[in-house]
Amino acid sequence: MNAVRDYLKNRVSRSIWALLGILILLYVITGLVDHFFFTIPSIGVTLQLAAPLAIFGAAQTIVMLTGGIDLSLAMIATGAAFFVSVKSSSGLGIGLLWSLGFCLLIGAINGIAIGVLKVNPLIMTLGMSSILIGFFSVGVSTFLKGSSSVPQFLITLSSGTIVNPISWPLIVWIVISIMVLYLLSRTGLGRLIYAVGDNARAARLAGVKVWRVQLAAYILCALLAGVGGIMLGGQSGAVAISLASSYLLPSVAAVVIGGTSIMGGMGGYTGSILGALILACLSYLLATLNSSEAVKQMVYGAIVLALAWTYARISAKSK
Amino acid sequence: MMKILRLKERAWTIGITILFLILGYWRASQLPRFGSYEIKTILLGVLPIALLAMGQSIIIIGGGINLALGPEAALINCITAKYANGSSFGKTLFIVLLGLLVSILVGAITGWIISTSGIADIVVTLATSFIIIGLSMFILPNPGGGANGDFAHLISGKGNSFLPPLLTFLIPYLFIWLPLYRSRSGIAMFAMGSSQDAAFLSGVDVKRTRIKLYAVGGLFAGLSGVTLTCITLSASAIATISTTATLNSVAAAVLGGIALTGGVGGLLGPALASLVIYFIPVIMLGYGIDPAYSQMIQGALTVLVVMAGGFLRERTKRSA
Repeated sequence: MNAVRDYLKNRVSRSIWALLGILILLYVITGLVDHFFFTIPSIGVTLQLAAPLAIFGAAQTIVMLTGGIDLSLAMIATGAAFFVSVKSSSGLGIGLLWSLGFCLLIGAINGIAIGVLKVNPLIMTLGMSSILIGFFSVGVSTFLKGSSSVPQFLITLSSGTIVNPISWPLIVWIVISIMVLYLLSRTGLGRLIYAVGDNARAARLAGVKVWRVQLAAYILCALLAGVGGIMLGGQSGAVAISLASSYLLPSVAAVVIGGTSIMGGMGGYTGSILGALILACLSYLLATLNSSEAVKQMVYGAIVLALAWTYARISAKSK
Repeated sequence: MMKILRLKERAWTIGITILFLILGYWRASQLPRFGSYEIKTILLGVLPIALLAMGQSIIIIGGGINLALGPEAALINCITAKYANGSSFGKTLFIVLLGLLVSILVGAITGWIISTSGIADIVVTLATSFIIIGLSMFILPNPGGGANGDFAHLISGKGNSFLPPLLTFLIPYLFIWLPLYRSRSGIAMFAMGSSQDAAFLSGVDVKRTRIKLYAVGGLFAGLSGVTLTCITLSASAIATISTTATLNSVAAAVLGGIALTGGVGGLLGPALASLVIYFIPVIMLGYGIDPAYSQMIQGALTVLVVMAGGFLRERTKRSA
């Protein structure tokens, strides 16, 4: 019990409490607009839909903590889902292996280009995204031809409900969350990720192999993106090239709202979880308001901006 | 040191010019005949993205980035195409000027938000890109619109003449960029891009300069939107198109020799680079190759160029 109190006191900063407040407020408002939102099945569905975004958020958190960003995340996710769906015709394990190999390869290329060859992360991942879009556009009609449906096992894992509101994707998300939180706060690599993001030069002078940390971060990011992409593929049943593209900007938004600095070195995954939940709540609210897509986009953007602004204010004050 | 930088900058522009000439010659040799009309087609194809790349370059030189620049061009495209549809020459002119004013305003507001909030530019413009895309969808829910034919010919050119599109490209360069480049704000822009703190300490009004740069960047996006209206005589508020336009503008800026860290570069490089980016898929289509491959090549080219640029910079640093 003492340990929990300690954790709440030391680890959880004021900004996290503020985020929690915003989330609860948003939840109550949404519930008042649509009473169905207060019911257990509705919570279950919302959590289920929030899971891929939260996993993308985890991927983005790790690279953003090192001071980078991954804009190829959506295409890595789509690619992983593509490989699983097409290559699984010869067995689920083979499909998963292909996806794993793909994620490792792309993550490693990103990491080496950024860590060793010092390419700006924004440009590297933007270029990678462009390369992958071309690659898979060609692929669907040639080497990735075939069924684009996701194996049943993965569909269950991405959208199956166990007991409302607990679903399989929620379990996957929780497992990943625990792993990421443990990685960032309890392991050497986690500490190094913060150190590199805070001041890469100081880290290097202190004997840290900065490029190795960056390489690890981008590989982890690609792997998590792959998990999120496969989950997304399982939820939609089939894979298309635009599968994850609408998740790219929200993945950055979730992390930023969660208080991780885009300059690196500050923040953590707890904030990103809350950020993803806030965005999921917001999507639900905008969907129930029965507004046009245009209004939805505007409100979404305005609220992300407002939240980021509020957050900047709060963290400036608490300093 | 300055001399080395200058030389390197020039070497970059020469390099991109050579690349442009090779690709241009290649493209010309693909066509059965290459005359005024073909030049016009190429210019019209590249004009919107070239203007956008120039706007993005100004912002990047000043040490920022605007991920909402493509949506901004789409917004002006939608506004002008909607309200100028079927109107007289005078009214179209009025609406175009109004659209440009809106683009300046949107840019200035973006700059103001970045300065005042202290949030990173990437995050702010990511959020504003949502807002602006929503706004364009609100203004023009379905693709359509138009403009006065005579006015459109001012930019797109009548018949075979390639002069109007060339002028549409040169006028902003000569009358917006060069005066800015030579003014106090221009010096402030380069200073701010090199080091914001140093610029602030030597008396540059960082906030005002940033607002100005984003406003000028916005104006270029507005011009891009207006040319789009005049060329296509329609508009559509599809999010993916404007996002791709933003990415292309960043790619062209980088390919054109603008350092993402800010403080280095001119606008000629990015303009030529957008021609290069335009040529790649067109040439490949000429060979009957899937244009999807060209996207791969463009992505790889951008990354390789940045890599090469990084190495060059590293070496100049060491030798200095």
